[in-house]
Amino acid sequence: MMVIEKYQKKIMSAAPLAVFRIFFGLMLLGGIIRFWSNGWIKSLYIDPKFYFTFYGFDWVAPLGQFTYLLFFICGLSAFLVAIGLWYRLTSIVLFASFTYIELIDKSVYLNHYYFISLMCLLLIFLPAQVYFSVDSILKPKIKAQNIPQWNIDVLKLMMAILYFYAGLAKVNSDWLMESLPLKIWLPARNDMPIIGSLFNHTWIAYLFSWFGCIFDLAIPFLLWNKLTRPYAYIAVIIFHVFTALLFPIGMFPYIMIVSALIFFPASFHQGIINWISHRFKPKNNNINSFTRSEPKLKIYFFLVFFAFQLVFPFRYMCYPGELFWTEEGYRFSWRVMLMEKAGYAQFIVKDASGKQESVNNSEFLSPLQEKMMSTQADMLLQYAHILSKHYAQLGFVNPEVYVDSYVALNGRIGKPLVSNQTNLAKEIDSFKPKTWIQPLNDEIKGF
Amino acid sequence: MQILMRNYLMLFVLFVMSIQIACKPKTDTPKKEDNALDRQVLLTQMADSIIIPAYGNFKTKFDAFYLAANTFSSNPTEPNLIVLRIKWAEAYIQWQTVELFDFGPADKQTIRNFYNIYPADTTGIQFNIANPSANLDIPASYTQQGFPALDYLLNGTGNSNASIITYYTQPIESEKRLAYLMRVCNRMQSLLGLVITDWNGAFRETFINKTGLDISSSTSLMVNGLVLHYERFIRSGKFGIPSGALLNGIASPEKVEAFYKKDLSITLAKTAHQAYVNYFNGKSVHAGIEGPSLKTYLNALGAKDGVTGQSLSEIINAQFVQCGNKINGLNQNLYQEVINNNQAVKDVFTEMQAAVRMLKVDMTSAMSITITFTDNDGD
Repeated sequence: MMVIEKYQKKIMSAAPLAVFRIFFGLMLLGGIIRFWSNGWIKSLYIDPKFYFTFYGFDWVAPLGQFTYLLFFICGLSAFLVAIGLWYRLTSIVLFASFTYIELIDKSVYLNHYYFISLMCLLLIFLPAQVYFSVDSILKPKIKAQNIPQWNIDVLKLMMAILYFYAGLAKVNSDWLMESLPLKIWLPARNDMPIIGSLFNHTWIAYLFSWFGCIFDLAIPFLLWNKLTRPYAYIAVIIFHVFTALLFPIGMFPYIMIVSALIFFPASFHQGIINWISHRFKPKNNNINSFTRSEPKLKIYFFLVFFAFQLVFPFRYMCYPGELFWTEEGYRFSWRVMLMEKAGYAQFIVKDASGKQESVNNSEFLSPLQEKMMSTQADMLLQYAHILSKHYAQLGFVNPEVYVDSYVALNGRIGKPLVSNQTNLAKEIDSFKPKTWIQPLNDEIKGF
Repeated sequence: MQILMRNYLMLFVLFVMSIQIACKPKTDTPKKEDNALDRQVLLTQMADSIIIPAYGNFKTKFDAFYLAANTFSSNPTEPNLIVLRIKWAEAYIQWQTVELFDFGPADKQTIRNFYNIYPADTTGIQFNIANPSANLDIPASYTQQGFPALDYLLNGTGNSNASIITYYTQPIESEKRLAYLMRVCNRMQSLLGLVITDWNGAFRETFINKTGLDISSSTSLMVNGLVLHYERFIRSGKFGIPSGALLNGIASPEKVEAFYKKDLSITLAKTAHQAYVNYFNGKSVHAGIEGPSLKTYLNALGAKDGVTGQSLSEIINAQFVQCGNKINGLNQNLYQEVINNNQAVKDVFTEMQAAVRMLKVDMTSAMSITITFTDNDGD
């Protein structure tokens, strides 16, 4: 207990948190602008006729043209968080708007969006506005040079969980023993200048697989340790730049490169702040210490938050069957770039009177939605229910929905994910194991 | 701090340089397996040994047909009609060997839409005959031109040769009818010209140099075009829609390809299927020798069934053989087969469906290519 109390009282400079707030906010703003200018708001959130909501989040509705407003609010609040204006409000708005966007359609789900949502949630509870912010100029009362150290440590811990769990997820037989899916993905880049021809060799896929796994598992510790930190950060840069060059993963590598700066000491961040101050405004001179006592509730929030983060990714153990195949417990678990999965799903709707129709997926879904739906069991089911409702309106009585599905996972020859004898209209989604998923009949050993 | 940073920078530069040095000898002496994975080699073979010569062969047949059409239009006699029909059938058959190149110039001109969308819209054709300036660029006009429209004009405008000749020799009307026949031919000729000019010109360079696998790369566009073609135009168009297997089980024999000629449908389908198989295996059009191809690329990637050890290319080829056997079991007159023997036609569809899965899922997944088209079957 003494140790904990002592730790709670430990203080350090607020500079790292201020720098994190600025960089993270600006990266998010950049991400929103990029999303907007690529036309993705329209193609992902306005054009589709149907959306795949997350289980339990059916109330999240698409907003039509107001989606632009939502993105504007999200981008604006990201900017306000960055400069630290009205931080207590804008950090909440940022979390709420960003998370709402991500909840609209699970076919857009990416682990790094989840990561951003979590970081935004943490920021709500952190005093990131007390130093080097507009708020601290407007209300000098809140200004503080130092804050309890754990406020910075929680961000480090979240980063550490992401890396470590991503590494743990790579400890599986496909990744380490077969170098899959890198063995499939790397030859696709064999026309890259200089290093391209290397990718024709399987040893490089093995090298990358093993390096990636060890990197993810070790990097939190290497970043935390003062001696290894600079080398670890170089490794972070090289690793993420490589992934950015090789794979279409958008802003993620850059967000990680910038976020990992949180591991550097306060002096480093003070240097950045001094550099910015030098350019934009006079020195931010104050020496207050953060004295407000922390409400107990906040401590409990963090305890629950991290307990959840540590346990939730292991929920797949509650499900029978191969995780990569059924994807029961796959999302929200830092399973990044682990699978090459492709599928095909031809639906047939029938009713007792003999009516029958083959479904043209493009009448209902966007190409991205169709691609995601055809490989993920819970989305197949959601779609079957959309179809059932639609064809009931067209005069089918108690429509039965069947699917001719075919899915290939990590280079295995494809096979049906669902039997074509299963009437999906009768199956109901829940957290219970989906017994109607056909077995993979192969085992991927490991986490 | 600054000195430290400089050291790291040096380390990074050294790292990059060491990678470059390590790679140098590899680029100088490409190994054999490298070659089979070299998409530029693959694309060059596709362009020079298959696509461009195949268009050349088609142009020869088309020109012969075009000549016969001119002869007929200036002198619509029965012997000229008979010659024209033969040339039409030969050109239609040859078309099946180039229709699959639904990417690049053919995609740009959407030549397929103007060449072979069936069944022909006879009411629309009659309307166009009466209105010589009717727009033939719009989607509604797809079924009023191309080979299916010619099928109607040469085989369906009368019950006998004599009555068809009458159709083209009647006073007043006949001139407009012959004019429309030639309008359709001219349009096909100019579209084909545009496609061939592109392939013989700058596009070939673009094609073989866009070696990536992103959405806009040659290989990705080519594979997407090929998979779509097999699914929508070979499987669905030729068998799935007429047999009713695709949509709701109700047969529509009038939707077969070459409906008016009747005994040509299966030849067209066989030719299209064989051309597809040859393309998959990289068989050159002139020499008939297999070269770099999707098959060799998949083999070099090591794509195989992990359980049996059989290579994916073998599995796909075996499925192609199954499909071919099923087609061979059908009589020439697909229209009659749909009416009398529809289960056999549905069986072709089922067999091809298995091939579609392999092409669309197993092959593209092994190649790391994203399917970007949506399959709007049943159109």
